[in-house]
Amino acid sequence: MSDFRPSGPERSVQLHGGAAIDGAPIAYIVVLAAVVAALSFIPFSVVLSSGGSFPMSQGVFGLVGWILGPWAGAVAAGIGTLLGVFFAPHTAGVWPLSIYGAITASFVAGCFSTEHGRAWWPIVWVWSVLSLGVYLGRAYALAAIPLSTVIWGSTVDWLSVLLLATPLRSQIVRWLRSPDLSKVALGLFIGTSLAYGISHCCVCAISYYLFNWPEAVWLLLIPIIPIEFLFRSLIGTVVGVGVLSGLRAIGLVKPRYAIY
Amino acid sequence: MHSDVSSQSGQRTDAHGEDVAVLEQVSYQYPTASDCALKDISLRIRRGEFLGIVGATGAGKSTLCMALNGIVPQFYGGRFWGRIRIDGLDTLEHPIASLAQRVGQVFEDPETQLIATSVENEVAFALENQRVPRDEIRLRIAEVLDLVRLSHVRSKSPNALSGGQKQRLAIAAALATRPRLLVLDEPTSQLDPVGAFEIFATVRELNRKLGMTVVLVSHAAEELAECADRIALLSDGRLLTIGATSDVLGDVEMLLAQHVRPPQVTSTFHLLRQAGAPLSRLPTRMSEVSALVPSLQLEPSASPSLPQPPLRSGARPLITAENLHYSYPDGTAALKGVSLSIREGEYVVIVGQNGAGKSTLVRLFMKLLSPKSGRIHVQDQDLATLEGSDLARRIGYVAQNPDHQIFCSSVEEEVSFALRHIGYSTAEIEHRTAESLRSMGLLSVRRVHPLSLPKGDRARVVIAAVLAMQPEAVIFDEPTTGQDYRGARYILDLTQALHRAGKTVVVITHHLYLMPDYAERVVVMGSGSILLDAPIRQAFHSVDVLRRTFLSPPQAVLLARELDASKKLGLQLLTPAEIARHFAVRRKETAS
Repeated sequence: MSDFRPSGPERSVQLHGGAAIDGAPIAYIVVLAAVVAALSFIPFSVVLSSGGSFPMSQGVFGLVGWILGPWAGAVAAGIGTLLGVFFAPHTAGVWPLSIYGAITASFVAGCFSTEHGRAWWPIVWVWSVLSLGVYLGRAYALAAIPLSTVIWGSTVDWLSVLLLATPLRSQIVRWLRSPDLSKVALGLFIGTSLAYGISHCCVCAISYYLFNWPEAVWLLLIPIIPIEFLFRSLIGTVVGVGVLSGLRAIGLVKPRYAIY
Repeated sequence: MHSDVSSQSGQRTDAHGEDVAVLEQVSYQYPTASDCALKDISLRIRRGEFLGIVGATGAGKSTLCMALNGIVPQFYGGRFWGRIRIDGLDTLEHPIASLAQRVGQVFEDPETQLIATSVENEVAFALENQRVPRDEIRLRIAEVLDLVRLSHVRSKSPNALSGGQKQRLAIAAALATRPRLLVLDEPTSQLDPVGAFEIFATVRELNRKLGMTVVLVSHAAEELAECADRIALLSDGRLLTIGATSDVLGDVEMLLAQHVRPPQVTSTFHLLRQAGAPLSRLPTRMSEVSALVPSLQLEPSASPSLPQPPLRSGARPLITAENLHYSYPDGTAALKGVSLSIREGEYVVIVGQNGAGKSTLVRLFMKLLSPKSGRIHVQDQDLATLEGSDLARRIGYVAQNPDHQIFCSSVEEEVSFALRHIGYSTAEIEHRTAESLRSMGLLSVRRVHPLSLPKGDRARVVIAAVLAMQPEAVIFDEPTTGQDYRGARYILDLTQALHRAGKTVVVITHHLYLMPDYAERVVVMGSGSILLDAPIRQAFHSVDVLRRTFLSPPQAVLLARELDASKKLGLQLLTPAEIARHFAVRRKETAS
């Protein structure tokens, strides 16, 4: 600050309502929902479990949560995916599950920070543990899939649930806030995978109930799923580094629960 | 005239009666800033007055506007000192929605505030949110659209309106809520001179007839001189002075020290006073001149020698357009048989009203659009057969908004982007990038994100990226829009440096008053056709032709014509300096 010292009394700045959801201006939510909808057009691979292609938008669900915070992020990702269902049905898969997955991934990402006295992540963690239990329990106990196949086929799911409860979550927040863009990229890469991993096990708890895929498919998914996660993380990293560095540069007002 | 701000602002004490807005020791710091954007501002805005706000870029004008309806600090956060009361309401204790019923705000870019699908829906939006009864909304829509002369387009989409119409729609939407205070932040920066005049006329009418209090930020000194009751001059976040319009705009030295352009008529008489004219006060409006001139007995010098642009008739044509026609998909005919030749080494300025076809023409030159009929040649090659990369090597294009051409995360990446994609060697890319950054003075910020730079510097990044391609010609589309006087001169000085280095320069602009020091030739466009193609002196003095395309010549040109009216010497003077040089004061003993 320069030598200037204000002579008036300092006032407490309070926000009196306004067009915002959980501290994120509606305009930001609209823009990011539009981005998610637009990225829904671009298919990246075949998702065998639900018989469609996974859209590029899945790579930015985490980013949306970090920019807008958990609730606004979930709203933006959910609306964007819902629009994508209509405009890009070729990537929609089982659309209610696609929307559920989008909402969950963005919400989880937004919960990484525990600032402002808010700690939603334990609730998310309990929910993901329950979902994981339903998913894997059904496969092992009811569908009689061998335990080793279940464990290898759900690596990203149980690993994400475990890591969410470790200090890695807070470390990702620190990386995302770092002025060093290589650390931001690392945070985006790992964070995107972690957030989508939680979302994946929540969605699979339902999709496995619906489709009950056989052991042959489990075996096929063992190499495919990590590759898909790798691509989601790469998308999140490439798009995220550009977006976050741009947002920092232009000094746009940050949503209250933004993590960057 | 450096007045005592505290005494001026303290003239009235009744915040609910005489004053619409009262600011007491207001300071504000943005969340990510290290310094305050507003510094100890104390100010009273009187009910029914028209207050103009001037100042260089970064002086705090827009922040002050946003503070008047609580957007600062309620939306931006940050630290706030002091108190602002609007009609008695503290802006920190009442929500923006309540303040917005008292303060109507029009931003510089109307597109940032137009959201509805039709003109009447746009006006209705705020009223619906305020739960105004349906019949009352209908009445108010008709009333405000009539006021801003948009009744005939009430069912049109705002996207289909011209820039001036969009600006008037934003004003109408603000007016519909019947605010006590109307705040307009650079509402005419994107408009042609007549469009700007219409906005000023509309606002002045609202102020005079309805008694609406108006706060208007503008760089348009001539229009402010005509409309404003008082002028506040901001500098580095401080209220440097506030006073009667004639006092503030008449203090040329103070304005120039703050990089604020005075009205050209004031600049001219300031120079005449320096040459010995006995003037105690300087005129700020053209209407004051006719009363002043007889007492001064100004006489033109016997043989004025005016600098003339070089004749380039022998130069090779660089861009040749033959009988170009172009219509947009909605059927709007943008170009109707345009033929034009731009020769190597020329500095050409293209002027015309909003929608005259200027930008369409240069987009055709850049192959961003294809003509419906007609041909374009770049040197001897048909544009249709030129590859995009070849064209980029020959003609550079700097769009109106530099942000539309910026997408990399560092200045260096941005400047080298095109080079990397058209196959230059690494050594050549590094050499050209470094050279271009050096020529634009950007070496020190090469690693910085381009969007973190001020707008003027972002324009330089785009120019550097264009120059790295070493084109033979550079086209600038409205390069001075949104710039203050210093920023505009800076960018035009860059174009001049390019021109002196042998480049062909084409500039599209509405800011005619800036061009006499730079341009050689003027192409006047109107309704998709070329109305005049002439050297700058002849073009700027073709007042009737300019008016046909809703342009008015710079005030200095009108003044020169008025001073020359009795002698009819046909002097084609363009600037205050030229007028002061070519008219001598015969009577120096009497003060006006």
